[in-house]
Amino acid sequence: MAKREAPEINAGSMADIAFLLLIFFLVTTTMDQDTAYLRKIPKKVETETPPSPTQDKDIYKIAINSNNIIQARDSIINPEDITSLNGRIKHFYLANRGKKTNRDIHYPYYAYGSVALYQSNMDEQITRLNNLLSIENPDENTLKRITQAQGAIDQWRAKLEMAKMYSKYSGKREMPEIAFQAHIRLESFNDTDYSAYIAVQSEIEKAITELRNKEAEDLFGVTYTTMNNQYQQQITENTPEIRMIRERMDLIETLFPLKLIEVKPRR
Amino acid sequence: MAKFRKSSGGAPPAINTSSLPDIVFMLLFFFMVATTTKEIDPMVKITNAQGAGVTDLTPFKQRSEVDFVYLGEPIQGDKDRFYKGVAVQYDGLLPADGINYIGVWKQDKFKTKPAEFTAPKENVITCFKADERVPMGIIFSARSILQDLDFNSIAYSAQEMGNLNTYNIHTK
Repeated sequence: MAKREAPEINAGSMADIAFLLLIFFLVTTTMDQDTAYLRKIPKKVETETPPSPTQDKDIYKIAINSNNIIQARDSIINPEDITSLNGRIKHFYLANRGKKTNRDIHYPYYAYGSVALYQSNMDEQITRLNNLLSIENPDENTLKRITQAQGAIDQWRAKLEMAKMYSKYSGKREMPEIAFQAHIRLESFNDTDYSAYIAVQSEIEKAITELRNKEAEDLFGVTYTTMNNQYQQQITENTPEIRMIRERMDLIETLFPLKLIEVKPRR
Repeated sequence: MAKFRKSSGGAPPAINTSSLPDIVFMLLFFFMVATTTKEIDPMVKITNAQGAGVTDLTPFKQRSEVDFVYLGEPIQGDKDRFYKGVAVQYDGLLPADGINYIGVWKQDKFKTKPAEFTAPKENVITCFKADERVPMGIIFSARSILQDLDFNSIAYSAQEMGNLNTYNIHTK
């Protein structure tokens, strides 16, 4: 029997099927992306300990009242001039950076750490730990001191690694670190508009990101934003490249920390 | 003149539509790639606040690490039913006690997350999608409820304003 040719399938309704799918996706999806400012709420504290006193020079206070008028330190800023906040916040961070004398007493001071300093601090803690461990029959107090010393060693080790990385890439021996109490304090009223609050958050974010981007560009030749995007996309993969990006981001975040305290409104 | 004689009558030739499916498929794939699935239908009116340097939440959404809370005037019904005229929408729900329901909702949501979801409690983001006129007092009440329950990550939703550089702040 002669082989019969297979009849061609009619593809005329293929377009209809594709249209149906297309319309389904058009209806069930949205174009707009969800974008937001990520923030942390501080952990709740079990025991009421009075907060350690912070000097005025270390606080950058921004308050927004119920008429959406902004007060940044001593200046009143109208909503239309809000973009000036960017420069003000940058100045708060940079006023004393790199200065050891002639510091402006109204802005946070910087500490200058070096590899040698952190190394000696760590060695000191290691000696302390060894002394504590050599005590026979340790009592409760000693055990507490041992965990304390171990924590301190970890802290200095992390600092040491950062200082090494900083001097490797910048060629400088000393790493400038802003006073750890330095922070931005954002106060609002019960009737402050969400948009005004977001505008201030935006200005803070912009100032910090610009500072970080510049620093990252100088050190690694890549902006902080680029590194962060890459990190967020691949956070679940534990590759050496991602670990390296995380370390670099940690260094930049230590150099320019975003410490923002959002105060619960009282009025 | 035989050359220009009309070809013998009949219907005009049919247009070839065999490439139509290809074109439509191309459109389909474009929309599949460029859009994200809609979470829910909004029940509150939201005009987004503007901001610069916002973080894209898409990677967090893909890992289902983010829960959205919508705040604004209700589209249907009387707005005076709600505290300060701001209704709070949780998934498909507009509870009468507004923001105070957030604790119950968050805990339910955390318990019903799929097994492969491993992020700890304090890393699950609560994203506030609020209308630009929502008073901050409401959001701070939510913050203190979340703080008590150890949900420590939040996000303030805002639209990237690009180079426009205009915040839409209303002076009262």
